[in-house]
Amino acid sequence: MIRVQHEDFSVDDLYKGLLKANQTGAVAMFVGLVRQFSDIPNESCSFELEHYPGMTERNLQAIVDEANTRWPLLDVCVVHRVGRLSVDDQIVFVGVSASHRAEAFQACDFIMDYLKSRAAFWKKESQGSESHWVEAKDDDEESLVRWSK
Amino acid sequence: MSKVNVVFFASLKESIGQSTFQMTLNFPLTIGELKQQLAEELKDGKKLLESGIQSSIDFEFSRDTDTIPETVKEVAFFPPVTGG
Repeated sequence: MIRVQHEDFSVDDLYKGLLKANQTGAVAMFVGLVRQFSDIPNESCSFELEHYPGMTERNLQAIVDEANTRWPLLDVCVVHRVGRLSVDDQIVFVGVSASHRAEAFQACDFIMDYLKSRAAFWKKESQGSESHWVEAKDDDEESLVRWSK
Repeated sequence: MSKVNVVFFASLKESIGQSTFQMTLNFPLTIGELKQQLAEELKDGKKLLESGIQSSIDFEFSRDTDTIPETVKEVAFFPPVTGG
């Protein structure tokens, strides 16, 4: 399941959705959250997350399809929020169920690495009255190298 | 000739001051050539020529050297993605 949405999500509900009766031996999950990123204590911090409707979902589907060709997975769930998010809000959920833990861990890691560099989302950070668009980090792109076949 | 929707996102949208632009394309045309045309036509369009600006053709990532198909409906330009 792939969803791009404004609403918050329940990790418990998404976890239960990944379980396949009598088959699931492992579930690996990742949740990304908004942290306090200002150096000034208690300064208000938030994100505005923009996406490209139509393309973003395709990007995520392509990443999940690639994960499915690399590992024998039972199910994959990716939920990414857009819009305004504040400190402690959940941003993204990636969950993978499989028969064994190795493929669940690896596929979850792979999907997050590719989501950072190959899915059409853009973040604008606000600190107090200042805001700026977040620039892509070189190490996000470099982290894809380890997945080269 | 074909009329296409050109869309911009994030910091590029703010620099250019608009999110969409209708344009008639003369084929054959590459993404790089379209960028040059837009840079001349749009106010602050030069931002499109900055390094790192990415593009897509009908929702698929593209490169400057890619030829735009005559069946195209939408081309997008945007800065490197920063999700997750």
